[in-house]
Amino acid sequence: MATSLSIKNLRGLPLLLLVPATVLPLSQATAHGTIAGVRYRVAVTVQGVVTDERGTPLPGATIVLKGNTSVGVSSDADGKFSLSVPTGNETLVISSIGYVSQELNLAGRTTLNIRLVADNKALDEVVVVGYGTQKRSDVTGAIGSVKAAELVERPVVNVAQGLQGKVAGVDVSLNSGQPGSAPVIRVRGYSSINAGNTPLYVVDGVFWEQGITTLNPNDIESLEVLKDASATAIYGARGSSGVIIITTKRGRRGSQVSYDNYVSVSKIARKLDVLNARDFLALEDLGYQNVQKFDPSGWAAGKYAARDPRLKRQALANPNDPKRLFDASLNPLYDVDWQDATTQTGVAQSHNLAFSGGSDQTTFGLFLNYTNAQGIIRETYQKRYSGRLTVDNQVKDWLKVGATLNYSSIEDKIGNNFVGGNNIPRMMIEMIPIVPIQYPNGVYGKRQDYPDMEGGDNPVAITREDINLTRNQVFAANIYANITFSPNLSFRSVFGANISSQLNPTASSNLIQLRGGTQNLAGFTAYDGRSLQWQNYLTYNKVFAQDHALNVVAGIDAQRFQALQDYTETRGLSDNSYSYYNLGAGATPQVPTSNFDANQFFSIFGRANYTYKDRYILTGTIRSDGSSRFGTDYQRGVFPSGAVAWRMSQEPFLAGNSTISDMKLRFGYGQTGNSNFANYQSQARLGTNSYIINGVRVGGTTLNTLGNPELRWERASQYDLGYNLGLWQNRVTFEADLYTRTTSDLLLARPVPRTSGYGSIFSNVGSVRNQGPELSLNTVNIQGKDFTWSTNFNISFLKNRVLALGPAGDDIYPGPNFLNETNVLRIGQPVGSLFGVVREGTWGTAEADQALRYNRLPGDLKFKDQNNDGQINDLDRVIIGKAIPTGFGTLSNTFRYKGFDLLFDVQFTYGNDVMNLTHHSALDRTDQANSYSRAYTDAWTPTNQNTMIAQVRPSYVYYDSRIDSYKVEDGSFIRGRNAVLGYNFSNGVIERLKLTRLRVYVSAQNFFLITKYKGYDPETSTYGNAFAQGIQFFDYPKARVFTAGLNVTL
Amino acid sequence: MLSRIRSRAQATALCTGLLLAATGCKDFLKEDNRSTLTQSNYFANATQAQSAVDGLYNRLRIMNTDVGYGESIWVGVELMALHATTLGQSFNNNQIINQSIDPANPYFSNMWNNAYNGIGAANLVIARVPDVSMDETQKKALLGQAYFIRAFLYYHLVRLYGDVPLITNPVDGTSPDLYPTRAPQADVYNLIIADLQAAEQAGLPAVDRSGRISQSAAKALLSSVYLTSAGYPLQIKANYQKAADKAAELIDANQYPLFTNYASLHNTADKNQGELILQAQFAFGIATNAISPLVIPYFVGISKYNDEFGAVVPTPGFYATHEQGDLRAQEQQFYFSKYPSIRDPSKTVNFGTQALYKYFHVESALGNGVSDENWTLLRMPEVMLIYAEAINEVSGPNTKAYTQINAIRSRAKLPALSGLSKDAFRTAVWKERYHELAYENKAYFDIQRTRQTYDVAGNRFVNVVGFKGEVGPAFQEKYLLWGIPSAEINNNKQLTQNPGW
Repeated sequence: MATSLSIKNLRGLPLLLLVPATVLPLSQATAHGTIAGVRYRVAVTVQGVVTDERGTPLPGATIVLKGNTSVGVSSDADGKFSLSVPTGNETLVISSIGYVSQELNLAGRTTLNIRLVADNKALDEVVVVGYGTQKRSDVTGAIGSVKAAELVERPVVNVAQGLQGKVAGVDVSLNSGQPGSAPVIRVRGYSSINAGNTPLYVVDGVFWEQGITTLNPNDIESLEVLKDASATAIYGARGSSGVIIITTKRGRRGSQVSYDNYVSVSKIARKLDVLNARDFLALEDLGYQNVQKFDPSGWAAGKYAARDPRLKRQALANPNDPKRLFDASLNPLYDVDWQDATTQTGVAQSHNLAFSGGSDQTTFGLFLNYTNAQGIIRETYQKRYSGRLTVDNQVKDWLKVGATLNYSSIEDKIGNNFVGGNNIPRMMIEMIPIVPIQYPNGVYGKRQDYPDMEGGDNPVAITREDINLTRNQVFAANIYANITFSPNLSFRSVFGANISSQLNPTASSNLIQLRGGTQNLAGFTAYDGRSLQWQNYLTYNKVFAQDHALNVVAGIDAQRFQALQDYTETRGLSDNSYSYYNLGAGATPQVPTSNFDANQFFSIFGRANYTYKDRYILTGTIRSDGSSRFGTDYQRGVFPSGAVAWRMSQEPFLAGNSTISDMKLRFGYGQTGNSNFANYQSQARLGTNSYIINGVRVGGTTLNTLGNPELRWERASQYDLGYNLGLWQNRVTFEADLYTRTTSDLLLARPVPRTSGYGSIFSNVGSVRNQGPELSLNTVNIQGKDFTWSTNFNISFLKNRVLALGPAGDDIYPGPNFLNETNVLRIGQPVGSLFGVVREGTWGTAEADQALRYNRLPGDLKFKDQNNDGQINDLDRVIIGKAIPTGFGTLSNTFRYKGFDLLFDVQFTYGNDVMNLTHHSALDRTDQANSYSRAYTDAWTPTNQNTMIAQVRPSYVYYDSRIDSYKVEDGSFIRGRNAVLGYNFSNGVIERLKLTRLRVYVSAQNFFLITKYKGYDPETSTYGNAFAQGIQFFDYPKARVFTAGLNVTL
Repeated sequence: MLSRIRSRAQATALCTGLLLAATGCKDFLKEDNRSTLTQSNYFANATQAQSAVDGLYNRLRIMNTDVGYGESIWVGVELMALHATTLGQSFNNNQIINQSIDPANPYFSNMWNNAYNGIGAANLVIARVPDVSMDETQKKALLGQAYFIRAFLYYHLVRLYGDVPLITNPVDGTSPDLYPTRAPQADVYNLIIADLQAAEQAGLPAVDRSGRISQSAAKALLSSVYLTSAGYPLQIKANYQKAADKAAELIDANQYPLFTNYASLHNTADKNQGELILQAQFAFGIATNAISPLVIPYFVGISKYNDEFGAVVPTPGFYATHEQGDLRAQEQQFYFSKYPSIRDPSKTVNFGTQALYKYFHVESALGNGVSDENWTLLRMPEVMLIYAEAINEVSGPNTKAYTQINAIRSRAKLPALSGLSKDAFRTAVWKERYHELAYENKAYFDIQRTRQTYDVAGNRFVNVVGFKGEVGPAFQEKYLLWGIPSAEINNNKQLTQNPGW
């Protein structure tokens, strides 16, 4: 039996193969080794230490007797082992995951120091696939793996950060600098339009519905991304947007304690250039002068006389006025940099404490985490407490049971919980510099303290006075039982329960202006979600006639999800200090709402993997899914896949080749489905509304959805051609995949004429295709005794096209809508193409006559009249950008010198555009809020006519603001994502401290950014719509983070 | 041992099989929908019928639909009449005034979408309530309200967009009505009139002060429909008499006495009282209505509202057309030009222009900052002027017609009219409509049906097309109708666009 495999099992990977305990080489040998019931005459006891290349002890390494694997032991927490062998002249095989196995002839030695060399890409590495594991070498699909060490090699608050850039074809966008903000993860592009594009997360075999941010990255042992259909088809309809399988850490034999922590500081990485007090007032003066040009008759009639800035300033220059803003000569008293005032140096700390231990029969693990990360906007943070307990018990030789209990409590205080409006990121740009944070008497400065300004609050006041908390408690438990019927056949049953309980208290004080009067409010959103899942499957594993290996998995999986949500709010609190703690203190309770949501899945699946002579591999998968979401007659869908692989390196003509150590060609085809959309869309549902009769609220019933009883599965067909190459004992590995995924029967909220009374109907129409090569190259450039240098490079290209839409192929505008539609789905174009008019510049004085045709003057914005009909309107809109990248990837270099390691990680993305909607309020219109500096410095003037920015004028005379090409900026970038310098203390030091491992490190994240984009960061979006990547209206700024950390193992 | 394992294997296989059978059945996949009801299981009893009708009422608020920042449907309709300017930052409002708005603008689509959504809900009531087993009198009254709301919405659509799709049955995913063509306006008017007659005869109370639709509301709207259909584009002259008759029924019943104080038009205490026949209802804490913040000049600081939009500000030219001594033009009657500062009430804020005191809601402006005044749809002076105008077209001014217009003038402290020619009387009624019903969303509809506009400088009525008023360029003919929303044309190739859009 393969001993290494059984050890892997004990490390907590879900068991595909359960090796009967009768042959398990467990425990330290005793004088009379009765291991596994086999008695040996003990002659010699061998002792030793297993370490890695740097001398760090390796716990859990396996030491077995060559030719008789039933004699064996694994190293303890200090890497030490002791083994009794018959003669003392045997050969030992020493192995550990991630290291090259070593054979060692004892030749009479009884004390050993064994150094294992890291395996750069171990082919025997086990990869977690759906409902089981496979050896990397047997994999026929496109699967990317990330191990624990890679995930946490830099300090990450959530798993998505750790995953970013690790796997080709996986695009992770961290769109907000807010700690704990949800990332957008896309595996091989956008397969769907209205059904979700978010990958399926499977944690320890159980679907994880709470989102990837609720996991503690330190708890993860390994993470695999299933990309192509032959890999994902085992998840059928759940897998069409890719599957991310997460295996968490479990207990190990022996006793071990480890502690990891880090402390980091983060600062705003880039500030935006806005007007200071002097320029703000200068712009106002200039704008006022220009009014007579833009409204000569109104000017002549004195319509604007009262708006003369000098009058306004004089009125605010009275020395006795507590809200005085100007001195006697009308110079401003204040000049606040609101970005500085609103941001802070955010301090974060994280502590992870792990205990692991156990005997041959029982192992346990306890993993505790505390993380407190302050945001770079004042008063924002994420706090997380989590605890996880795992127990695994070999009850009988044929029965193993285990359980995982996971509890996390996550509290976020966020600063950008809605887009636009009075949120902090917007106000820190728009708040005017001439007003103070607080006046000498303590009253908050308000934008409207200066007349003619639009409503909008002091962002520092919002951070202090508004409370917006998200408290999420996740309780996740799963229990499993493995029954081994025979060495070839086993059965596994897993029951999982995920309970997510969320409470979002909000409170707004009336100390800030927009909530003035009696409108201070408080409320709660409460959410209670439950997901229950039960899966049962059989695994059959047999090698026939030496050359034929067969692995079959078959089973069923049933899932139910339900959620209850409610919202309560009261307004007019009698006192701010009640906050959200006493809603009864509110004068006007609002109408409460609640909502229930549920769905069920029932699936039957099977997979067969056949290997001939380790060369030819064939995999077939089929899954039949039933979902409650579809029309009664269309609930079931069957999703097949098949793949072949040829390991050329195992052919006689390549065997023993000193250059080529691995070569594999893979081809797969499969279908997957998608039902990831809102519940109940097949039903013609009625909604509720209200009216007032006799001054009293009366509830009513009204239309809601246009039901479609014929709703059925969305289906994606995917081809994948893959190639793996390993050279010089895999010192160089190269992996390439070429795929085409075509989604048809797209689930689409197809717009219907509004004359129906409805906006859209969920239907199966349309088709979209994603294609791309993905390449990754890993090389060990230098491998010396003391110095190694290795490089990882991956790049993914994405070509996305809409092939068909709706019955007539009409354009669809998926939103967000801001001033107008911002993006379009159009046949032949990538999904979510940015859409609008083309800004050609500004009208020059020489073009006054042409400008007049559009009722415009020199100095006004000039748009391209595509149909030359003399007006600029919706008919002049064209595609003006592409939000999804053409290519993206990562280049990372790792250097090790003795105890030092240095990692340098650069991320790049190109070919994507960003629609910067902040131009609308901070550039197009001026004089009612603060603006970008270029609204003044680059504006049209008679002597600066070659510009894209209109002549300055107050927005109360007309101005143009459209969704146009000038708002679309090149979003390509190169980012210094991560640099880490670490030091592993040498054995001598560690032993003196009675430790097994001690590492310290410092790191810098986001340490440079090269881009033409003018906002904070081109990796951005402020909208939740399916195709809103790259569309932003005042995002939370990104941080530059410096960290110092410590890893200790006892 | 081995046999024990084997039997266990068999047992497990059996369990698995049973599980497959037990959980695989259809029941497990049945949708569990507890928050909403469906069309298939609704309309089972009188309570549900009542609730479905109550659900139609919020469409009476259609003119108060928020379109954008400082934009509400009624604002757009008022700016279309070109006697108001806007001081706010709304791009769409400025485009309306400059007559450069395009058919993708949110005004046109919001109006269209909301009206048809209400019509769809009304069609469902009209189709399903007749089969509900319930008290027949109540059923008739419920249907009458549904007919009224459907007519009310179609009446707005046909005036704003001209020929419009005429949907009278519930639509589902397979209905031919999903992709309708435009119906001739005459057909639309026929449906409106039939629906309003059904409402009139539905046994509704003659007067209702609770906010519900009354028989009088049906009569009043019917008189307006008749008057409009007698003008452009249908020009069914016979309908002048019908308009006069319906209006006369209300006048003779004398159940809607004129307020003695104009403040009652925008007071909380006088909601649904006196001369008010039908209002869209709002109430603090339940439904807010931004009329009052919309009419305050741009951020002058006289109220507790978060925003003072300055969306609709009367032109000085129009204000100047009020006759000498007109009470309505006095400070704090229909207009105001100054008000105490909210920050320092000892100081007065001078607007430098006239603003609409008619819509200034004192209670909320100085109180809790949440405006909740009702929006008036029908009030008695309009009915009185409909009578005067219609009967004048039939037979010239009669005594009863003079009584109506003079009652309104007398309240405004203006001298009574007498001895006018038919033409002069018509002009007098039109001016009175402009002054009494100023900024109540009547002027644009009057322009559409008369093709005349008020030349405030010449104090006369002139052909609207090509006339340059106080604001914006000369009136373009296409502005007699709204454009069909471009998204709608994109989704339904059966639709044609209105000329010029």
